[in-house]
Amino acid sequence: MKPSRVPAVIWMSGLLAALLVFPLVQRSQYYQHVMVMTMMAAVLASSWNIIGGYAGYTSLGHAAFFGLGGYLVALAHNHFGWHPFISTWFLGIVVMGVALILGWISLRTHGSAFVVVTIAMVFIFRIVALNLASITNGARGLTQPRPGWGGVPWSPELIKIPFHYIMLALLCLTVFASWRVRQSKFGLGLIAIREDEGKAEAVGIDTMLYKVLAFGLSAYFVGVAGGIYSYFFTYIDPQFIFDIFTGVTMVLIAILGGRGTLWGPVLGAFIMEPLGNWVIGVFGGTQIHLAVFGGILLAVMLFMPQGILPALTEFVKRRAKAPAAGRRSQSA
Amino acid sequence: MLLVENITKAFGGIRAVDSCSMGVERGSITGLIGPNGSGKTTLFNLITGFYQPDVGRIHFNDKPIHGLPPSRICHQGIGRTFQITRLFWKMTVLENMIVPVRQVGWRTLFSRGVKKHEEARALELLNLVGLTGYQDEEARKLSFGQQKLLEFAAVLMADPDLILLDEPAGGVNPVMIEKIIGLVEDLNRQGKTFLVVEHNMRLVMELCQHIVVLDHGQKIAEGKPATIQNDLLVLEAYLGSTNHADASA
Amino acid sequence: MTIPSTHLLIQTIILGVLVGGVYALMSSGLTLIFGVMRVINVAHGAFLILGAYCTYWLFQLAGVDPILSIALTAPLLFLIGWVVQRYILSRIENPEQASVLVTFALAVTMEGLMGTFWKTTLRSVKPDYATEVIKFATYRFPVTRLAGFGAALLVLLLLYLVLQRTNLGRAIRATIQDRNAAQLVGVNIQMVAALTFGIGIATAAAGGSLLSMIYSFNSSSQTDWITRVLSIIVLGGMGSLPGALVAALILGVMEQLTAVMITLYWSPIVFYIFLFLTLIVRPQGLMGEKVREKA
Repeated sequence: MKPSRVPAVIWMSGLLAALLVFPLVQRSQYYQHVMVMTMMAAVLASSWNIIGGYAGYTSLGHAAFFGLGGYLVALAHNHFGWHPFISTWFLGIVVMGVALILGWISLRTHGSAFVVVTIAMVFIFRIVALNLASITNGARGLTQPRPGWGGVPWSPELIKIPFHYIMLALLCLTVFASWRVRQSKFGLGLIAIREDEGKAEAVGIDTMLYKVLAFGLSAYFVGVAGGIYSYFFTYIDPQFIFDIFTGVTMVLIAILGGRGTLWGPVLGAFIMEPLGNWVIGVFGGTQIHLAVFGGILLAVMLFMPQGILPALTEFVKRRAKAPAAGRRSQSA
Repeated sequence: MLLVENITKAFGGIRAVDSCSMGVERGSITGLIGPNGSGKTTLFNLITGFYQPDVGRIHFNDKPIHGLPPSRICHQGIGRTFQITRLFWKMTVLENMIVPVRQVGWRTLFSRGVKKHEEARALELLNLVGLTGYQDEEARKLSFGQQKLLEFAAVLMADPDLILLDEPAGGVNPVMIEKIIGLVEDLNRQGKTFLVVEHNMRLVMELCQHIVVLDHGQKIAEGKPATIQNDLLVLEAYLGSTNHADASA
Repeated sequence: MTIPSTHLLIQTIILGVLVGGVYALMSSGLTLIFGVMRVINVAHGAFLILGAYCTYWLFQLAGVDPILSIALTAPLLFLIGWVVQRYILSRIENPEQASVLVTFALAVTMEGLMGTFWKTTLRSVKPDYATEVIKFATYRFPVTRLAGFGAALLVLLLLYLVLQRTNLGRAIRATIQDRNAAQLVGVNIQMVAALTFGIGIATAAAGGSLLSMIYSFNSSSQTDWITRVLSIIVLGGMGSLPGALVAALILGVMEQLTAVMITLYWSPIVFYIFLFLTLIVRPQGLMGEKVREKA
């Protein structure tokens, strides 16, 4: 929490500029696709970070909100003709509402029990989606019309580009929200809850209220992303979208990059998502993907649980403390 | 001001607090003493909402507070320190001061940064306890005594009317003890009420105007320091506990 | 919702009890591990499946009967479990918080590895008696379910004897009751933890062996099973073996009843609902110790 650092503004503008021109410079559909997914991963991880990083409540259930957003948007599009690029921002609020309720119920549990409850959430959503076939079309899933505007589909070469920009907008919004939370007394309270929940209560923080709000807020961006996702792929079904693995990836990315930091999740996404795509490209199949991601999460949890960004900042700080003259004075 | 009526709290088969009734007068410094395991900290936890009583009621300013969560009780005006100092170790001193919430206000919650008046008040309190200049230091880097002072100062941020101190002199050098006594007396003169758990008898006798004695979860004596010192039951509780193995909580 | 006839009802309950016995075996290890180490081993489902795969390959390649294969799979997985605890889990700094994520990562890794090596084709073990049914008093007792139930009881009995009659068992029980006190009387907690984890995984192997002949499975089945098993120990009370037994029987019966009375497709939800509700309404489950209020 430092006052405006000139370097920070510089690299953030640079990043934003790079992302803005990316699809115009990089014409390959494959890379455009990967970039959209990378930004989405950053949205998911940053959003998760609000409850999982700041407040320290590891939710493995955010896939439930992702899928819910996807379904709501698909249904609204098919039944009411609402264009996902518009409806998703509002339907995300519905997802947030559901999350507030579920959070109010499940945040009575702590630690490991909470993680387990959130896992159950995803499975419950999946089974409900599978079985309420009259609404959700069950296992056959929901398809949407080809992406376009006003009834005119976008040309296949340019189709990824609108998604790139809407995802970029979502990413900016998410990071902005995460930043505002971090700067506010609310965010400080969340961190207090993470550090010592009992003490936080003792100093007047209504921990239940804070946690539920954080949980709901974190579900909003995830829900919006889910809405965009269902349009991006034009198809969702319960197995596909209510997937525990989505939750695992979110958590892995946030932890790898630096759980509880502002930019850690974004960094993690920009590392893991391209890496994941590369793994699938080279080795093919999702099983290897699972093994690799699982292995990385395991390694991170055991050897670098604070994540890359904090580890980097520590390293830089220690380097800065040692005088330029001698290596000897560097503490181990 | 504070009225504890017939409180019982059992864990498993053991009654940590057993039909205990006591009161704290507004504006007083009341001591709560007793051998280890007599239920003092449990009583604190009951008053501040960390435990729910099995039986009995607790009233603060004539309002019932038993059953309320700790944060609500804090908003009612009760603050407390912990037997083993509890701070947000990785936060800075200033952040530790800012974290306490006096009342839930939506605007203060979501506004940016640290409000000027909060920071000013925090610095003022830090000055009061003698921690000026440490505001950007991480809490875990402070010395033990400084940490205790910080915890105390942070509690004051919420401007409580009743302050519960759990062994404020525990493990602290005599100079610091004097400082603590001074702080408590000053604040008391300004109108704050204190309930203090302590083993340091000198501090208790010097500081407290009224003393409550617990043993095995029950109140066995109550009165002015001089009376308590001579009370046979009290002596037996303390002496008796050195004869058998100490059943600490 | 269809109300079954009394006969069907009893038949369903019988099936539920038979399958519940196997569920009990599967969950016993998990609750034991939690009791001793305060670790929720989310990888337990993956170990179950690993045991199932071992049994499958022993059957395919050497014709070993699935129930008898327990004698081979249990020791093997005991060793694997011991190694995992000794070299991975013991490294975790804050076990009660971080163990869920670490074991989850382990589960995902195992799922990926098993899926890579053994593909995702559904497997099951079909010994000669796979389709046989014993009829008794007009009720049908599928031989696999019956044999599974019997085997489960035997292994549980063995576990009980180990816990009650051996020194190791005493050390384990002491550690469950009061970790610090156990250390004070000279129990080597690290050793107990490693051995308990090994035993827990060995029972998972046994459970997996039985699983292979009752259900079809592949690497991704591990998520279904871990949620089932978690629900059972949560309902029974984490750390309580008798609780796991009771809960397993209850949930086994409830699952079968749901399949019959509503539809097969809704039946898995029974576990998730129970899990959700128990953790929220009565976190200590049926027989667990009361969760300490925060202080």
